Amino acid sequence: MIEFKGASVIAPDTGVTILEPTTLTLTERHVSIVGANGGGKSTLVRLINGLIPPTTGSIEVDGLDVAKHGAEVRRRVGFLFTDPSAQLIMPTAVEDVMLSLRRSIKNKDARTRAALDALEEIGLGDRADVSVSALSGGQRQLLAMAGVLAVTPTTLIADEPTTLLDLRWRAHVGSLLRSLPVQLIECTHDLDSASRAERTLVVDSGNVVFDGAPAESIKFYRDLMFGRTTRADSQ
Amino acid sequence: MISTLGLYRPRDTPLHRAPAWFKVSLLVATTIVVLVSSDIVTSLGIMCAALLLLVSTVPPAKVTLWTIAGTVLIALLSSALFMWRGDWLRAADVVADLVAIVSLALAVSTSTSMAAMLDFIATLARPIRAILPPDTLGLMFALMLRALPEVAQIYAESRQAARARGLDRSLRAVLFPTTTRTVGFALDLGQAIHARGIGEESDATHEARSKRERRRAKKAEKTAKRLRGRGRRRGPAVTQQAPPDSGDSPADSAPEGATGEDTMTKEEAFERLLGPQSSDK
Repeated sequence: MIEFKGASVIAPDTGVTILEPTTLTLTERHVSIVGANGGGKSTLVRLINGLIPPTTGSIEVDGLDVAKHGAEVRRRVGFLFTDPSAQLIMPTAVEDVMLSLRRSIKNKDARTRAALDALEEIGLGDRADVSVSALSGGQRQLLAMAGVLAVTPTTLIADEPTTLLDLRWRAHVGSLLRSLPVQLIECTHDLDSASRAERTLVVDSGNVVFDGAPAESIKFYRDLMFGRTTRADSQ
Repeated sequence: MISTLGLYRPRDTPLHRAPAWFKVSLLVATTIVVLVSSDIVTSLGIMCAALLLLVSTVPPAKVTLWTIAGTVLIALLSSALFMWRGDWLRAADVVADLVAIVSLALAVSTSTSMAAMLDFIATLARPIRAILPPDTLGLMFALMLRALPEVAQIYAESRQAARARGLDRSLRAVLFPTTTRTVGFALDLGQAIHARGIGEESDATHEARSKRERRRAKKAEKTAKRLRGRGRRRGPAVTQQAPPDSGDSPADSAPEGATGEDTMTKEEAFERLLGPQSSDK
């Protein structure tokens, strides 16, 4: 369970409010977040695992305050970025997954086996020893996912995970994400993917302006983007 | 672009089975020998051995051939002066030396996984673990290697973009986007590392060590205080035995039972002066 308790973010150098005080409780298995670029979606989800500290208020994950128990929270909350290239550190696929496991599995052979299993599970078993730079964009995103899932998080935050992918990989990564046995918080511009969630938040100008069932939220978002409604009409 | 990064291929060759420390030591020793020796027979022998070792690791053919070809070209250019002078043996020695070193380096890269190399670096860094956690050093090394091809790609893309805008000769049109995108990449990478929780264990270990040290200092301070207390009861001579580095807490700077300036030692005066600053260690 993720709880935002009046969490806000103000840019320290400019004083601009990036996220207005937000109070939310996310318990659903799949929550999608939609909104215009620069609206505050990424800021909202980065608060969850402490990548950005809140200026006011607090965030709790399974009762743990993110500000106080950052490392513990990050063990429970995995994060998938838009560009997988920035998430991959080691030269080959298996080594990158092994890096994630360094903390949890000390024995090298056991670590290698676990990394190979994680790659096999995600469908990259035959690419284990291939250089990261030789993988396609979709394969890199899968590898980034394998690295995150190897440490068995309970929550996965995906920040526009399919934006850089072609249609085929978008469908594959999307369905894989939805099939995972974790709570999925997904920021996306893919309204089809957003509509498959149990709950959808619309974020605009640093505010959660709509929070409800996917169909209603997406209708509101479309109307907002095309000027058929205003933030004042939100819930 | 031909890159020698990510050359490692898991195989069952003698060099693959050898520990990383052995391979790196072999590389260092060979480099020293070929640089010190100017005997062409020795250099050629070492070059052949290095090439055989490289072949034994079954390296990726294309990258290996391009790298060796490039090395030979650079070596020929480097030995041009000797060839011009007619010192063919010396020129051949330079070429053999460079090919030997590069071949052996390739053999080590092909047969050693980054994980094994990180473990080796972590082992090497153990003596300085008080300053820098070994895992952090290993991570720094991996990140450095990771950043090289990325920066090269950013540079190539920036050049293409400048060309597309008709700014072929503008240094600024290439360097500015390269710099800003490189910084952006570094920030993204930093966030990803943070999100994956990598390095937090080292931080935790480091923090735990600092806590232990603080606890130890506090204990030493308590002992010193007890000694000072006894000393005051017995006489001022014992008070001087208080350790000079024991001024961690401001509370400690006010000696128990101190009745006036006449009982304050020089160390205590320093402790009182430095107490508030050192208390937040």
